[in-house]
Order: sequence, then C-alpha cells, then structure tokens
Amino acid sequence: MQHFAFWLAVFLWLGPAAQATATSPPTQPPPLVTDSLSHYWDQSLSGGPGKDGIPSIDNPRFVSAEQADARLDPGDRIIGVYHNGQAKAYPQSIVVWHEIVNDRVGGKPLSITYCPLTGTALGFERGDTEFGVSGRLVNSNLIMYDRAAESHWPQILGTAVQGPQQGDGLRQVRVFWTTWERWRTRHPETKVLSKDTGYMRNYRDDPYGSYNPKGGYYAEGSPRIFPVLHASERYPAKRVVFGFRTAAEAVAVDRGALAENGRLRYRGANADFLILHDPGLDTAWVYRGERGRLPAAGALADLEFTATGPQSQALANLESVHGFEAMWFAWYAFYPETAVLAGDDG
Amino acid sequence: MTDERRRFRLPWLVGLGYGLIYLYAIGDISLAAPPLWDWRVAPLSLERVVSARGPFLFEAMAIAEAGYAVLLISPLNLLITGLLSGLLAANIHGVLYLRANPDMCRPNRAGLVAGALPALLAGGACCAPSLILLLGIPGLGAFAGLFGWLVPLSLGLLACNRLWQRRRGAPGLVG
Repeated sequence: MQHFAFWLAVFLWLGPAAQATATSPPTQPPPLVTDSLSHYWDQSLSGGPGKDGIPSIDNPRFVSAEQADARLDPGDRIIGVYHNGQAKAYPQSIVVWHEIVNDRVGGKPLSITYCPLTGTALGFERGDTEFGVSGRLVNSNLIMYDRAAESHWPQILGTAVQGPQQGDGLRQVRVFWTTWERWRTRHPETKVLSKDTGYMRNYRDDPYGSYNPKGGYYAEGSPRIFPVLHASERYPAKRVVFGFRTAAEAVAVDRGALAENGRLRYRGANADFLILHDPGLDTAWVYRGERGRLPAAGALADLEFTATGPQSQALANLESVHGFEAMWFAWYAFYPETAVLAGDDG
Repeated sequence: MTDERRRFRLPWLVGLGYGLIYLYAIGDISLAAPPLWDWRVAPLSLERVVSARGPFLFEAMAIAEAGYAVLLISPLNLLITGLLSGLLAANIHGVLYLRANPDMCRPNRAGLVAGALPALLAGGACCAPSLILLLGIPGLGAFAGLFGWLVPLSLGLLACNRLWQRRRGAPGLVG
C-alpha cells in the first residue's frame, strides 16, 4: 500500500510535467528578433475573425497529382514541402482559407503555415501538438498559437512573443512558394491537399484577390491595410523578396537580381553567404560558409537541382540556411535593419 | 399598381435584395468560374452549427455549387440574414405608411431616415472587410475587430425603430 501511494504521488507530480514536455512544439534558439518580444504582443491587433475563426486543417486528405491536374491551373500557386523523401503540395486556393495545415510529412509532424496578408509560407516542426490561428496579427502577419501551452508565435518571427515559451524559436522546415507546374515537374509523385478539408468553403474564390493573374490585395502596387511597426518605401509594399535571417542579421534578396545573376554572395557579420537561384522552382537556396571560404564561381560548374535541392561538390562544407519569400513591407516591418541584396557584391 | 400594393411589395423586395447582398458580402453567396455542379454536406453536429468564424458569422453546414454560383448554407447566418432583412422590410413599410398617413404621425426627416440608418450600419458590418480590401486604406484594418459588432447594433436599432413606428400607428408588415 505504501508503494502504491508513493508511485501515485510520483505519477501525479510528474504526470502533468511529462505531458507538457511531450506536447509542446520543439524549439531552438530563435533567429534575429529586432523589437522586444512583449512589444510585438502589445502591438498585435485583431484581424477580424476570432481565435480559430480561421480554422486550421487538422485532418488533411490528399489526392494524386493526376487528380489535382483536373482542378489546378499550371500557373496556380502552391506551397510545396519535400521532407524525408515525401513531397506534398498545398494549393494556395485552399490554404488561404485555413492558414495552417497540421500534417505529417515523411513521418514527421509538421505545420505548414501561410499568411495571405504578408505572402509568407513557412513550415515548422510541431511535435505532438498542433498550431491554430489566434485571430491576431502583428505587422499584418499571422500570429499562431500552439494548442499545448497556448504560446503565441508570429509566423515570420517563428518565435514565441507571449506565453510559457516566450523567447523560444520554432524549428523551421523549408517550404516552397511556387507554381503547380514547377512543383509537379520537380516532384511528379507529389500528393496534393484535397479540398475535402472538413470545412465548407468556396475554394475557387480567394477573398483577398488573385495570384493567377496577380490582382487585388496581392498586386505589387496595392497598399497594405494593417499598421506596421516599421515602414519603408524602397520597394512597392507587395513586391516579393526572398528573405533569410540568422541570429545576427537579416537579408532581403531582390529576386529579379538573383534570377539575372544566377547566384549572389553576401558578406555577413560573422560569415559569408552564397545565394543560389533555383530556376526550376524560381526560388532561392542560401548557404553559409566561414569567412572567405565560399566556393569560387567555377567550382559550381557541376551544380544541379534535384528533389532534395542543389547538388554540387562545392556545397559540401557549407551550412544550409532557411529562407522564404515575403512581401517587402512585411519583411521590413520585422527586420528594419535588413540588408538588401540587389546585385553581386563579390 | 395602387399605393397600398406598392407599400406592401416594395419593403419585401428591398428586404430580399438586402438579404442577398448581405449573404454575398459575408461570402455565403459567391461566384466562380468555370461553372460546376456539385454539393457537399458536413456531418450534422450542434458544435458545427454554432461554431463561429467571426463575430456573428458562423460555419456553413453545406456547400452547393450551382453553375457560376456557390452557396454556403449556415443556419445561423441565414437566421441573422432573415432577421436583418425582415426588420429592414418592416422599417421601410413603416416609413411608407407613416408618410402616407401624416395624421397618424407628423412626418419629419429624422423619423423617415431612422429606418435607413440601421440598415446602412448592417450593410457596413457585412461589407466592411471587403471594403477594407477594396479601398486598401492603410491603417483601416486596425478597426477590423470592431466591424462584426455592427450586426447586433444594427439589429438593435432596427428593432427599436420598428417599435417606435408601431407606437405611432404603423400597421404590422404581415396581415
């Protein structure tokens, strides 16, 4: 009886803690955070719908690429993920109504997130928990909440600004903002998110505008509609840049310049960066190397892009850095001290 | 058409038109191309029926794609639409009646427009998010959280104005 009482006490003491540990999303040291965490939360505001008013997809279903061909135009935008050998595509026309898909890709629990107001698609490891849409925005950007501890995470920061995990950074997974045609060519075996989401929505209508062709809120010259912490007129508000950040710095890459040059280099605070244009997906890949140790241009002659990304002997000693496309106003609002890479600096 | 028949039909037509516009503005009626014919029904549950997408905006239980039109069917959205449309029709009926019968109530400008103001507010409630996107006024989005509350405000004002009309002798809309 004494043993039973002892183990019961241990269970009651450890049980909740063990459960909280098991269900919180896995974290890592956060990337650059410019403003104070509490400031982001204090400046957040309601986007209109309340908590979970924009419902995440928690039981996603998928169709084959052949089935998806019937309803996707080659130029339609999708969010693509390739993880542990499995490729999945999430049509923007569906995700725009849900903003978060709690899924498993290659056996790993991931949340695929999309904020239509900032044009940002990011993937995060979610562990045993799920992410939901809080209904609040900061810098027009989706603030997610995790359903384990209810910390609040602005999507672009990938860092909790409020709640038990305040200051922790989420583990980011690379996702791709590209077209159906480009993704299908790179990943012919891809699965595609079905419109059978469990929710009744008109998935042929985008409440914000259109990407194919670009119009409405997404048009490059259209104004933003929510207040931001920092504003810049260097580019039109909705111009899409490719951004990457480390703990020390943030860099916005001019996509036009990158496509024109094929590759760009950036001399950072503590390291050098190589940015490669992927013509297949029309996106960028970023690599960090020690100062002065980036491969020479000729060393990348064997460069090719496969399902897993760029392949070249010259990249073997470099560290991959996550990045994502974003509307210029949103990138600047979070990273006002961002460097802008519009040409080859060396 | 006699004045009496016009007084009876006009409010219903305006109410019906307003209801359709309201459903369009909240997205429960929308257009899409190419035309498709399809329908889906969600598993029936009370939790789904009362699940809110926003203030006074509820989840749909079914979707019907009827050619170019796509219809979302939400019982509570339809209830709110019916209340707004019915109250608006009753207000317009009251305004028309009281204007035609000055002996019942001395008409004045404030009294006549009192029915239209709540309707405009309700219209603002449903159209506000679309208007924000359409007009793209920087900073206006900061007030997005408040727009949903225009619906109960409109319902309240329409109901109060209808009571005011009835106390001054306006007949019922039906019968």
